[in-house]
Amino acid sequence: MNAQRDHGATAVDNLRTVDMTKTFGGVTAVDGASVQFQEGKVNGLIGPNGSGKTTFFNCVTGMIKPDSGSVLYRDKTITRQSPDRIARAGIGRSFQLCRVFPRMTVMENLLVAVRHTSIGRQLRSARDEEELERARGWLRRVGIDHLEHAEARNLSYGQQKLLELAGVLMGEPDTIMLDEPAGGVNPALIGRISTLVRELNAEGKTFIIVEHNMEMVMSLCDHVVVFDRGRPIAEGAPEIIQRDPRVLEAYLGV
Amino acid sequence: MPSASNPGPVITETIVVAPSAPVRPSWSKWVRITLLVVGAALVLAFPTIAPNPYILSAGVVILNYAVLSTGWNFMGGFTGYISLGHAAYFGLGAYGTALLIRNFALPSFLAWFVAALLVAIIAIPVGIAALRVRGASFVIVSIAFVLILLLVFQSWRDVTGGSEGLTVPRPFPDLLRPEHHRVFYYLFAALLAVALAVWWIIDRSKFGTALKSIREDEDKSQSLGVPTTQYKLIAYVLSAVFVSFGGGLYALWFGDLDPIFQFSILIGSYMVLMALLGGVRNLFGPLLGAVVVGSALEYFKLEFGDTQFHLIATGILLGVVVLFMPDGIIPAVKALFTRSSNQASIREVTAGELLEENRARSAETVPPRRPDASGEETP
Repeated sequence: MNAQRDHGATAVDNLRTVDMTKTFGGVTAVDGASVQFQEGKVNGLIGPNGSGKTTFFNCVTGMIKPDSGSVLYRDKTITRQSPDRIARAGIGRSFQLCRVFPRMTVMENLLVAVRHTSIGRQLRSARDEEELERARGWLRRVGIDHLEHAEARNLSYGQQKLLELAGVLMGEPDTIMLDEPAGGVNPALIGRISTLVRELNAEGKTFIIVEHNMEMVMSLCDHVVVFDRGRPIAEGAPEIIQRDPRVLEAYLGV
Repeated sequence: MPSASNPGPVITETIVVAPSAPVRPSWSKWVRITLLVVGAALVLAFPTIAPNPYILSAGVVILNYAVLSTGWNFMGGFTGYISLGHAAYFGLGAYGTALLIRNFALPSFLAWFVAALLVAIIAIPVGIAALRVRGASFVIVSIAFVLILLLVFQSWRDVTGGSEGLTVPRPFPDLLRPEHHRVFYYLFAALLAVALAVWWIIDRSKFGTALKSIREDEDKSQSLGVPTTQYKLIAYVLSAVFVSFGGGLYALWFGDLDPIFQFSILIGSYMVLMALLGGVRNLFGPLLGAVVVGSALEYFKLEFGDTQFHLIATGILLGVVVLFMPDGIIPAVKALFTRSSNQASIREVTAGELLEENRARSAETVPPRRPDASGEETP
């Protein structure tokens, strides 16, 4: 519950998995993956379709329980913890096909985020002035503050993506995992999202991004991990990754 | 890739231009207050204006339904988990109260409280088990629970009196029938007021926002830090406790319990029907539903006598509501008044415009593509 939120601990990895495996029926989606993501960086996770990236994401965030192996967040184990506990420990995430609460207003969508579960806080009015201001701050930040009172289902897909991001930020996570932030949005919006990621990273937030848009990955990420068949096959700076023969092989399917 | 000379297909983004003011018109607050005062006055004055004890007793039944349905709505309304088996807690509250008075000689209203406490303790393990499943599976589990209880209370003759039923000692033995109805009318009204107050407090709280997000998308809610398992359980137990209070008070009022009525699917369905009819997202939805369905049931019973026609008539009523007011009466009426004044307008914005907007927003950081292309995109 009381997450360690000191930004000084740069020596440890932000997020690390050890020998993580997840099998669905006969299909091994994640196959003994050991991966490190760096604190304070924009980390990329790429790989061909079906390489296990989203399953990996879901195992890390507790949505799926891995069959074996462990997940460590800042050197503390979070393996098999419930998704809400992992979220309160400081890891926020978005979903592959963006998910918002359709029949709640944009503002209410943001007020859902729970950071503290004490009874006193929970019975306080949701429309606490301080919380409203904090929410408006994030809405301004992603650029949809004019939509505060609109129902989320009335927003366009791009706007919903921004809303989802604002909702995640409302939980004040230290680490943000984005599953295909550029999927299905137009180039201008990709630009806005990239800019936001850069700014937030400069403010100390660590990112782990699954993305197919190579232009975005290469321009945004400091460190890239390449997945193929459920395990990492390469990692390093984007320039090096781009030239790695194993990566080319995985993508071109030689 | 669209380049500067050839912008490619114009990508449009549908932008919602939302009402910038809160969605309610300014007079709405006064309408609400007036409705609330008039409604409360009507409820309080009913025993005085009721022409005969029969109508008064119908009023007691309707308030009882309102308590049950509002109690059900702590679970169904907030979290969207539809329980068809909440009659289980209606029966347990009633039998608990009766048995504590008969076998342990507790004073009537102490027995009523202790029964609700016991129901809360029972609801915890049942809730933990039932809430592991969602959607249709949860509905089935909830029905299974009430059917099991029905069998137990029918068969366990030594304790429950089996199918012969159980008489409940009267809390006010010296009162005449009409006075008895009047006292219980106000007791039910007070219980309803407490249930509504608690629902209102939760509705506006952070806890309530979290519960409503479970109704919308449970996994998403959990990913935002909402301890969904615990919150659902709290809502479930609260819901069971209020329904149990409704059942216990029914036992004290009616004075005679029969397992087939106490643990019937029908009672559970009425709670759901009333809440859906009025609107599960609204504080007064279940109350309004109880007034409509309760009055209709009593009227049809008078009209068709001792047949099952009143059930058919109720079924038709439900069909009409689901067809024309899927969200319930309250939202439908609200929409009538707010439609003209507040509708979000939608317009198309081109990628070029959006890019322009982007540039304005983040002048200090470099966007991935040089924005000078946008000048040529707009004719």
